[in-house]
Formats: sequence, C-alpha cells, structure tokens
Amino acid sequence: MTTFNNERTLGFRRASRPGVRRNFGELPFMPEACVAVIGLAAMWLMPGDLSFLTRIITSALFVLSLDLVLGYAGIVTLGHAAMFGVGAYAAGVYAIHVTAEPLSGLLMGGLFGGLIALATGAVLLRTHGLTCLMMTIAIAQILLEVLNKWRSLTGGDDGLSGIMVEPIFGVIEFDFFGRVGYLYSLAVLILCFWIMRRLVRSPFGLTCIGIREDRFRMTALGASVYKHTLLMYVAGGIFAGIAGALMAQTTQVVGLSSLGFTWSAEALVMLVLGGMGHLWGAIFGTILFMVVHHFASAIDPFKWMFVIGALLVAVVLLFPEGLVQAIRKLAVRQIARMSKRGTS
Amino acid sequence: MKTVMRKAMVAAAALCLSTGAVGAEVVKVGVIGPFSGPFAGAFGTPFRQGVETYVAMHGNKVGDAEVQFIYRDIAGPDPQKARSLAQELVVKDKVQYLAGVVFTPNAMAIAPLSQSAKVPMVIFNASTSVVVSKSDYFVRTSNTLPQVTVPVAKYALDQGIKSAITIVSDYGPGIDAEKAFSKTFEQGGGKIVDSIRMPLSTTDFGPFLQKIRAAEPESLFAFLPFGPPTYGFVKAYNDNALEQAGIKFLGTAETQESDLQALGDGAVGLETAYFYSGAHDSPENKAFVDALKKLDPNAIANPATVSAFDGAHVIYKMVEATAGKADGPKAVDAVKGMSWESPRGPVTIDAGTRDIVQNVYMRRVEKDADGKLVNREFKIYEAQPDYGLTLGE
Amino acid sequence: MELIFSILIDGLAYGMVLFIISVGLSITMGLMRVVNLAHGVFAMLGGFFMVAIVSRLGLRPELAALLAAIGVGMLALPMEKLLFRKVYGRSELQQVLLTIGLVFIGIAAVGTVFGNSLLAVPLPEYLRRSVDIGFRVVPLHRLAVVAAGLVVLCGLWLLLAKTRFGINIRAAVDKAKAAEALGIDTSRVYQLGFMLGAALAALGGILGAELLPLEPYYPLKYLVLVLAIVAVGGMGSVFGSFIAALVLGTVETAAKYLMPEIASIMFYLTMLVVLSWRPHGLFGRQL
Repeated sequence: MTTFNNERTLGFRRASRPGVRRNFGELPFMPEACVAVIGLAAMWLMPGDLSFLTRIITSALFVLSLDLVLGYAGIVTLGHAAMFGVGAYAAGVYAIHVTAEPLSGLLMGGLFGGLIALATGAVLLRTHGLTCLMMTIAIAQILLEVLNKWRSLTGGDDGLSGIMVEPIFGVIEFDFFGRVGYLYSLAVLILCFWIMRRLVRSPFGLTCIGIREDRFRMTALGASVYKHTLLMYVAGGIFAGIAGALMAQTTQVVGLSSLGFTWSAEALVMLVLGGMGHLWGAIFGTILFMVVHHFASAIDPFKWMFVIGALLVAVVLLFPEGLVQAIRKLAVRQIARMSKRGTS
Repeated sequence: MKTVMRKAMVAAAALCLSTGAVGAEVVKVGVIGPFSGPFAGAFGTPFRQGVETYVAMHGNKVGDAEVQFIYRDIAGPDPQKARSLAQELVVKDKVQYLAGVVFTPNAMAIAPLSQSAKVPMVIFNASTSVVVSKSDYFVRTSNTLPQVTVPVAKYALDQGIKSAITIVSDYGPGIDAEKAFSKTFEQGGGKIVDSIRMPLSTTDFGPFLQKIRAAEPESLFAFLPFGPPTYGFVKAYNDNALEQAGIKFLGTAETQESDLQALGDGAVGLETAYFYSGAHDSPENKAFVDALKKLDPNAIANPATVSAFDGAHVIYKMVEATAGKADGPKAVDAVKGMSWESPRGPVTIDAGTRDIVQNVYMRRVEKDADGKLVNREFKIYEAQPDYGLTLGE
Repeated sequence: MELIFSILIDGLAYGMVLFIISVGLSITMGLMRVVNLAHGVFAMLGGFFMVAIVSRLGLRPELAALLAAIGVGMLALPMEKLLFRKVYGRSELQQVLLTIGLVFIGIAAVGTVFGNSLLAVPLPEYLRRSVDIGFRVVPLHRLAVVAAGLVVLCGLWLLLAKTRFGINIRAAVDKAKAAEALGIDTSRVYQLGFMLGAALAALGGILGAELLPLEPYYPLKYLVLVLAIVAVGGMGSVFGSFIAALVLGTVETAAKYLMPEIASIMFYLTMLVVLSWRPHGLFGRQL
C-alpha cells in the first residue's frame, strides 16, 4: 500500500504554473459543479421522488464524513453513526427548544458531532485493530442507550418528532413537496464537499494520507500521528453531525436508529463499494447502494441481503479498491488501447 | 420548452397509469408495514393477508371507484424512512389514503405529513395512546395499550389478587403498559410491590424472574415485544417454576397467535387480556377465518390480521362517503362514530378521538380438539375505550 | 447473601454459553489473524442443522447436536479454502467487509429456507426439569450448559497442551513464520483450527439456544456480544475467552438483578474499561 498514485500527489502541483495541463479534477470547482449538475438533473427527471433523493444526499454527506475517518485517517469504525445521531438530536432539540432557524441548526449538529468525536477519539485513538473497532461499537451503543433513557429530551424510542424548520434566511420556506428541502440539502452537500476537498489537499490532509500509507515513516518525519488522526476524526465527526442535522431538518423527525450499528455498517458498505480515500467513491457508492436497495428490497428482503453480501464478497475479492477505481482503471486501459490503435 | 416537454411526459405517464373503464376512479391506498425483517411474521404478512381477505370477500370496487392497495416495506422503527415512504406515496404515487404502521415512532413521523396534506391514515397497529391525536386524519383500528391493560388489572383485582410486580421491556409501549396497570391496580386497592424495566436487548430473563420469585408477590404483569423476548420470558417463567410458587402470570399480547405455537406446552394456562383471539366464537370470525384460509392455508388469524381487515373496511367506507374523490376531512367525518360487527366482536370508531372502542377479552391458553394451542376467551369486558386519556400519562 | 449466590449461578450459566460460542472465534482470530464477523453464522447453522437432523432422521438430540457440530465443521473447510484464505494478511477492513458479506449471505440463505420465525431447539427429556436448591430453582439445562462449558475448556486445554496438533497451533499463533521454518504445515493447521472453531461455534449455538434464540438474524444480533468476549479475553487465548465470558456474563447478570435499567450499558462500559486498561485483552499478546 505504499504506491503513490498520481491523484495523491496533486497537492504538490501548483495549478497556477503556466503551461501545465491540469487534470480534469483540478479545475476550480469542477467536482462541485458536477455534483450540482447531477443533483439538478435528478430533480428534473424524478420530481416525485424528492424525499428519496434528499435521503440520498444526507446519506452521501454522512458517508463522505466516514471517508475522512476511514479513507484519510485510516480508522476502521463501526460506530460512526454515533456522531450522526448526536448531531441529528442536537439539531432537533435546538429547533424545538431554542430556535427553528435551519442554518444555525446545522452548525449545532456539527458542533455536537465534533465534540463527541473529540471526547471519544481521545480514548479510541490510543488503540488499534480489533480493540479499536470494538470500542467504536461500544461507544455508539452506550450513547444510544443514554439517549434512549433521556426520554424527556429525546422522546426515547418514540423518536423526536415535530421538528419545525423556519424559512431559510427568513425568506425561503420549506414546501410540502420537498423541493426546497432537496435544494437546501444539495447546497449543503456541495459546500461541505468543497470544504472536504480543500481539507484533504491541504498540508494537514496530506500528512494524514501519509500516515495512512506508512505510519512509521511519517513519525520519522516528525509528524504527530495521534494529533493528526484525532483532528481528522473530529473533522469526520463534525461533518457527520452536519449530515445528521440535515436529516433531522428535512425529515422533521429523529429516531434512535440514526445512532445504530446497522446504519454505521451500511455507511461502511456504501463507502467501500465506491472506494475510499478519494471522496468521489463515497458519493458514488451511496448512490449505487441506495438506488439498488430502493428497487431490490421491494422484491424480497432476504434476496436483497444476498445481493449485498455477494456484492461485498465480490468487491473484496475482485475489486479491493472499490468500484470507482475499478471503473477508472478500466476506462484508462480502454483509452490507452484506443490511443495506441490510433497512432499505430 | 422543457416545462412543456415535462408536462407532456407527466400526462403520458398518467394516461398509462390509469386503469379500468373510462370514468372509473382508481383510489390508491398506501400500506406501510414491515413486510421484511423480524416483524414480518407477526405484522407485515398479517397486514397484507387481512387486507387481501377483505378484498376477496367484498371485491375491489366501491361504487364506481376501484380501490388499489400499494405496499411499502419498512422493516422496523425508522422514523426517517417512514416519513420518506409516506411522502413518496402521497406525492409520487398519489395515494388518497395511508394505512398500516406498526411502530409508534413511524406513526409520529408521518403525522405532520398527514395533517398538512389532509391524507387520512388508518393505523393497523401502533398502540401508544397519544399517536392518534397527532393528526386530525388518523383513525385507529387496532387497540391502545391502556385499553387492554386496564381490564387485566381489573380481572386480577376481581380474582382477589392483592399484590403484583410489573415487569416490562424498557421502551415506550412497555412503559405505557406499566403505568396503565399500576394505576388501575392501585386504584382498586392492590399493591405494586416493584416495577422492573428490562433493557430491550435482554436475552437472559432468568435473573429477572428470580428477583420476582424472591419478592413473592401474588402475580406479575409482563409486557414485552413480540418474538424472541416474549418467547424467552415465558420460557424463563416456566423454567424458574414461578407458577408453582404461586405467582400468577398476567399479560396482554404475549400469547398472540403468531408466536403461540412456538411457545409450546409451557404456555398452557397463561391468562391474558386482548382484543382478538383466533378462536373467537362468532359467525363473522368464522367467515373471516375461512376466507383467510382460502387465500393461504398456512395463514394464522392474529390480531394484526383482523386490525388490517377492519382497517380495510374503514377505508372502503371512506371511499364510499367521498365517492372516490380525495377529500380527507369528509372521509374522516364519515367514519367517526361508525359501528360495525368485526370478526373480533362489536367495534366503534370513537367520534371524538377517532380511536377504536371494542370488547376486551380475558383468555386462557388451552389445547383445542386438534391439539393446537388457542386463546380461549372466558370473560368479556365490553366497549373498552382508550384509557390512556382518562388515566393520564 | 442469597442474592450474591443467585447472581453467581446465573452469571456462570450465561457466561458459559457465551464462552462456548466465542472460544472458536478466539482461536481462529488468534491463529489466522482474521477478523471473522461471520462466526455467528456457524453458531446459527449448528442450531438449524441439529433441528433438521432431529426432525428428518429422528435421532436423539444429543447425537444430533454432535453430528450438527461436526457437519458445520466440515462445511467450514471449503469456506476456509475458497474465501478466508484469500484475505489472510490483507487489511483488517477487507476482512471485516468480506466476513460481513458472508453474514448477509448466511442470513439470506437461512431466511429463505427456514422463514423468519424462531426455531425451537428440542431438549432431551431429562433436561426439561428444574432443580430446587433451597432458596431458588435452577433449570437443569443451565447446569448442563455449565458442565458442557467446563468439558470444552478442559478438552481444549488438553488439546493445546498435550497433543502435537495443539503444539502446532500454539506455535503458529505465536510466530507463524518460525513455525513454518520448523516444518509445521501452517496452512493445514489453519484449516483444522478453523474447522475446530466452527464446530465449537455450532455447539455453542445449540447449547445456547435457550438464551440466544435461533433465527435468521442471529449472526448479526449477537455479533457484538461474541466480538466483545474475544476482544476482552484476548485473541488466541482460550483461557482469556473463558474469563472474559464469565466476567462480562456476571457483570450483566448482576446489573440485571441490581440496576436492571442500565444492564446493557454496564456490559459495554465494562468492555470499554477493560480494553482501555489492557488494549490486547486480558490475556492477549503483543503482536
């Protein structure tokens, strides 16, 4: 795992150097623009499915945050939903008891997600391997039980309902059809995606990638492994919290399952399907998983589990780097073959 | 240009979707329930069977309108998904009515949608008292927890039982049941020796039953969710010889039909209060069970099946009242105060609360002529309303 | 005083069930260093096989249990060869994903064949009674489970300490490369070790069916429980699993008696505390 793939050394190329041809992904805002275009196209093509599409967006944001933790900090976690759920409840309680203004609600969600990540990460990151994995699960379960018991605040297993959302900027009201909710979520996704991209290309982000690739070498170079992974974990927690808050606002209800093991596991599957370590995989994997789930689970639940299980086994055995990379490699090989034919 | 194109596509799609003769309305009903996952056997499949039995017995037309049921799966309590499904059904599939729902959080999540879109929903299970008040368009055809718990407390007092321990799973319905039982029992002069709340994930009930045995009350009142917890609890009750120690078992839905056979001989003699027994002796029930078996010989008539069956009846009445048009307020008004003879007994939809008022039966588990376990009714508490409101939360 | 005895008795019985199910995982994880989340599938299959054998072939439950355990062990062999072998040495994430995929496939297969409801495991007649020991009643099958657990513990100890196979396992766990250099066929050891682990899991699934009811979602439901025992006990340590199972089982039981509302929190909290203090588990080794 010590190969440096071109994409990862991008940060060293200063795009403003004259005469250097930029990578497609390097053009300013191009990836964000792509997401915007796809998002708007989806809304135009499937206007009746907006609540489903909104769920895809909040899930994609959550899976992106997991990519930061897993793909960039290298921490295998089955408890990431803890931050998502805490962010969701924080935003929900904030909307009910303080103010239903949505943007500050998102910040609340992010704040609490980050705080939980900080508190738990400080303990977690001293451990590795199976122990770390078990602790992530334990922490999420404990938080779930605590929130469950705190019925007066969270509604317990009845869920927190009746979350109102005031108009954005005081002007744009949420409509019944879900259009405003969808566009709001899309905007938040694009903004967060942009921030994450800048984060992973920053010196901090590159150090984290280095740590993931080879811990010992980075330590030799003087980087503090613990500090960097903790900060990336907190970043992951913040974005997970924002995703949770977004979900709370667009569905107006929060349930205990938002902290559950199943949700953490599903996010992991989505990330791995798409491929971790380059953010795009998170988005792609989420879309793929949720679309297939939407259609397949209507047929037969057990067949759905079979499909996902087989897919996972196939991905691990055949495409260990995820489907995005597999497709990209295939595309590259095809293009190379075609250009060779062209010149021969 | 794009909007014209899009309108044309939508019109074409609508044309393709319309079925039946020209002039016939298609009234769609979206049924949301756990058709997959661990609750499918106790709720999802019975929901579908109940609805399909009703359609088999009464046809799928109401006047000029054709009623079409659409089923959407939600495997467990998941408020976000419930709301999404409901929204899709209303906005995309254009259903006029919603139905189903097993879990309270799911119902709570759908309430604001039902209210703002004025879409009536007939609840086939979610039994927490407060649910039906969350939207003016909610109607319930199942039961509420206090409704079935108060009679069992009264029965205990009638039998001269003076002390009890309540032991429930620590979640919304369990706590509701505990409160309803305790209040009624204490009001009648009984003493609640202890109130135990067990974590939902408990698999080993031995310690809890030992604790009860050591405290030596005259009875215990239990409430657990369907499936493995109930199974484990009843087994532990028998294994730890509580009956021999003179501690009577009082419950509500623990012996319901979908789990009853799996409980085995250990369940014989258990007394519970509930609103429906598959063995209920009435011509309506016989007709219902026969039609159900014709549909699927392996089907078991359980409370969820009959709730769905009666729910379909309510929906048909609503369609009839609105002549197949989408008019939420009119539909709900039409069924307020409506009474009819259900397979479970006489029922009424309360005009004020839109909740169901019905008989609650004390039953005992026995073996019938074929050696199968049944809930044999032996006492009727008539026309029980939802006590959740009078007892206070 | 009686309360303490009650807690110990119930905690012991519960812990023994957890031990039998988890010890196989501890061995395979210690041996092959593969995070195998699909271990619960073997336990579940053990129960389902046993019921099938009893109902189709009409054999006695004890014999059926033995055959089921052996059957599951045999089933594990091709799985090891075709699937698990591919992920030895790969990243832990890959192992987690592969084995979660297997869990899903297992759940789907069992669910499609057996349907969604609970499976009742038939008990032999003589175990269906309860024993009165004065201040309380103890179901006989619990005592049988405790006895079985002790037999498994002793049997494994004998196997590991006294037989050649056991020595090979311990060598492979400690230092695989050195073992190979000495001529030990480690892949054979892995195979047999994996089969043993699966058979033990199947046995645990059968014996524990009263406490952990068998149903298609079994592997997912009790996954965390089993992993917790292995993590706390230390991978590769049979004795560690034993102690961890007893400790965690007793803590949860005590909580049920004394503070039932936070019983499950106590379980996870204990796990966290132990893992923070000794990250490799109570008896685990530094890698």
